[in-house]
Amino acid sequence: MGVLDYIWLGILSVFQGPELFSIFGLPVSVTLVMILCGFLLGIAVGATPGLAGPIAMAIALPILISVFGYTQEALLPVMGFLIGIMKGATIGGAVPAILFNTPGTPDAYMTTLDGYPMTQKGQAKKALRVAHFSSASGDTFSDIVLIVCAPFLALLVEAYLDLPEKTALLILSLSFIAAVVGGSPAKGLISTGLGLLAVYVATGEDFYPRLSLGTKQLSQGFPIATAVLGVLIIGSVFKGLEELWHEKRKSGGIAMIRDSGDQRLHFADIRRLLPFIARSAVIGTAIGALPGIGSTLAATLGYTIGKSRYQRRKAKDDPDFGTGVPEGIAATEAANSSVSGANLIPVLSLGIPGNAAAVFLILAAESIGGFNPGPSVFRFTADVVNPELVVAFGLFTAMLIANGLNWTIGGFFMRSMGIMTRIPKHILLPIVLLLTLTAIYVQETRMEAIWFALAFGVLGYLMRSLSISPLPFVIAFILGGKLEESARQAFAATGGDAFFLFTNPIALVFMLMSVGVIVFTAVKSKGAT
Amino acid sequence: MKHILKAGVVALGLALISSGVLAADWTPPGPIKMMIAFRAGGGADTQARLIAEALEAKLGWKFIPEQVTGKGGVNLLATLKDQPNDGTVIGMVVTESVGYNLAAAKAGITPANFTGIATTAGFQMGIVSLSSKGWNTFSDVVDAIKGGQEIRFGVMSPKLADLAYLLGKAQGVDFNIVPVKGGKAVMNGVNAGDLDIGFMAGIQAKGVASGDLVNLASGLSTPLKQTPDAPTLADLGVSYNSDGYFVFVGPAGMPADARQALAAAIAGVANDESSKAGGIIKKAFGGASTITGDALTTLLADGYKDASTLMDAAAE
Repeated sequence: MGVLDYIWLGILSVFQGPELFSIFGLPVSVTLVMILCGFLLGIAVGATPGLAGPIAMAIALPILISVFGYTQEALLPVMGFLIGIMKGATIGGAVPAILFNTPGTPDAYMTTLDGYPMTQKGQAKKALRVAHFSSASGDTFSDIVLIVCAPFLALLVEAYLDLPEKTALLILSLSFIAAVVGGSPAKGLISTGLGLLAVYVATGEDFYPRLSLGTKQLSQGFPIATAVLGVLIIGSVFKGLEELWHEKRKSGGIAMIRDSGDQRLHFADIRRLLPFIARSAVIGTAIGALPGIGSTLAATLGYTIGKSRYQRRKAKDDPDFGTGVPEGIAATEAANSSVSGANLIPVLSLGIPGNAAAVFLILAAESIGGFNPGPSVFRFTADVVNPELVVAFGLFTAMLIANGLNWTIGGFFMRSMGIMTRIPKHILLPIVLLLTLTAIYVQETRMEAIWFALAFGVLGYLMRSLSISPLPFVIAFILGGKLEESARQAFAATGGDAFFLFTNPIALVFMLMSVGVIVFTAVKSKGAT
Repeated sequence: MKHILKAGVVALGLALISSGVLAADWTPPGPIKMMIAFRAGGGADTQARLIAEALEAKLGWKFIPEQVTGKGGVNLLATLKDQPNDGTVIGMVVTESVGYNLAAAKAGITPANFTGIATTAGFQMGIVSLSSKGWNTFSDVVDAIKGGQEIRFGVMSPKLADLAYLLGKAQGVDFNIVPVKGGKAVMNGVNAGDLDIGFMAGIQAKGVASGDLVNLASGLSTPLKQTPDAPTLADLGVSYNSDGYFVFVGPAGMPADARQALAAAIAGVANDESSKAGGIIKKAFGGASTITGDALTTLLADGYKDASTLMDAAAE
């Protein structure tokens, strides 16, 4: 089995999976259909203000698992669906931003700056076309970087990092996430600490379920779905309901603006936009590859850098950024879309999730089993097939298929999604809440899971109210078990050396970097305020 | 060990004969909840789910598989013991869960809280390394340590950690004993070079057959089927062993007809090598070993009793 054989097997696993139906004798695999459905759902969800990709992924996951079961064959259809949602939501988010000045997803905020003015000028369709073109380009670029980089990074990690270094690397990524996400490192550390505390309930080597206070309810710990869905989804629903309470229902219809003028995207336009797209795609990919920094920052950076270049080069009478120039949309959308592929680099090569979407992909892999994202995936065994590697290449194939869909039908479907903005939040939020609780019960089938989820929901609400980002919590919850395990193993493997994190040069560098990241961001954010 | 196996075969025979009448009479009063103490998607989980699938197809019973993982099966046992004992709730663990792990957990639960239904397969527990290390048998590892090398020994349960410790003591060497989660993790660690040797309970079969891995010793009281020449733990001076089975249990006091019908059904599938479940059992463990009835009750009770002597020996 050479590398090419694995790639080929991965591609085949997508196209030749269990057959759903056939068109003119050509079998259509269930994975393909799932990618398509996920993609379309993703666009719709992204276009709905108040919903976002992770919410749809969270609700879909338990339902998909109960349909497909826990077998190896379930992995690609389920993860293909989730990848479809992830990609669809990215382009869908631009729709309400451009048409109604309300970003569908937070990372589309910068899109409103030039998108909505274009709509006001009667150029809505053109703006959507620019957004779609930039988004699809950025996304494709990012996926290619992922496919090239992830295996090599994984092989490097596997070849050079021993147990103590792996432990130090986990500590580094946690501190990086704590320091970078949200406003202040202190709040990030609180969020991370709470996540670790929650995951350490009832786990560990001892037979007594620690921190369970002797209760039976806590003796199995918190199921991962309750913590993740509770804090991320239910927490945001609670927060949304509160905001609704405050603002009262805004009445009045949305004014429709007639389209006027040429709506097509010409080759000359594309040539003008390409430098902006390329620069933003590189920025987005680089940011995506670092765990914890989301697509919102990528969009902001892409827009800001695009703006400064545009201002320097533009002719005197050209319109400014923020008054409805296509370059502004292109710079934002290429940046936020190119995050999604690169975000899977740390997931697949290190098992470290970088953002909420990646969290749900890991959750899917953990719930179904048989695929453990991390360096061991990319083991190119020659004589026996490494099934995880086949799945990895299957996932790459799924991503490229989603890209293909994005290029072909994505634009058309996206332009028809303006209607989603009309869904009122006071109906949407309770539905999301109910669906999430149902989804949790489907997976855990015990009543405690619901109570846990609601409690985590309250925690998520409180964190949002205090502007503490819940993402470090969730990532710490996911990595906590791994951190403890590898620390224990490193301690045992070094023959009980308590200073294993410092006696080894690479581990020591990682530890210094962890401290450095926190100190550096703390100083910087103090300077900024 | 042999006499237990023999007794098991006899008991199974009896169970099959008697349950021919009884099993026909007993049908589950509702869907059967099948708790599984292993990670979703792993080898043991697959085995349990395939058995459920085969029984659904064969007998028309309905199964609801559910993961209750953690604490080496103790979490599952703690949940299972208070469930209805009419045959509608069963759980799959390993004999070690009911033996060593219950004894170590000191949670007030004993094998008497459960009805043993049937084992499906016995471990082919070997001490395994990569063949590229150049070791052919366990004494090569001991020589390596005496030559100044540090050896990391991966174990997947506290009982195996005790055995590894006692093995080092008997051979006059120290291992760095590294606890990891599950046989798959031991194999990954050995393959990645994070571990030098490790206990594997059957997952190594493919790698040993292809020549990538080598069974340095048998962790059992008997030689391994795949590598009969490898020394057993007794040969290496350890009077304990890691003999164990995958086992289905129910809450205590299960009616005899339900117990026999379930046992016959599960053993039937495990022994049928043409079924998917029987097939993977054959591949990983060299064939099923199905112990039922009183022989199983004795096996579980003995495992619990012997655990404390092992713990005392390892604590010295």
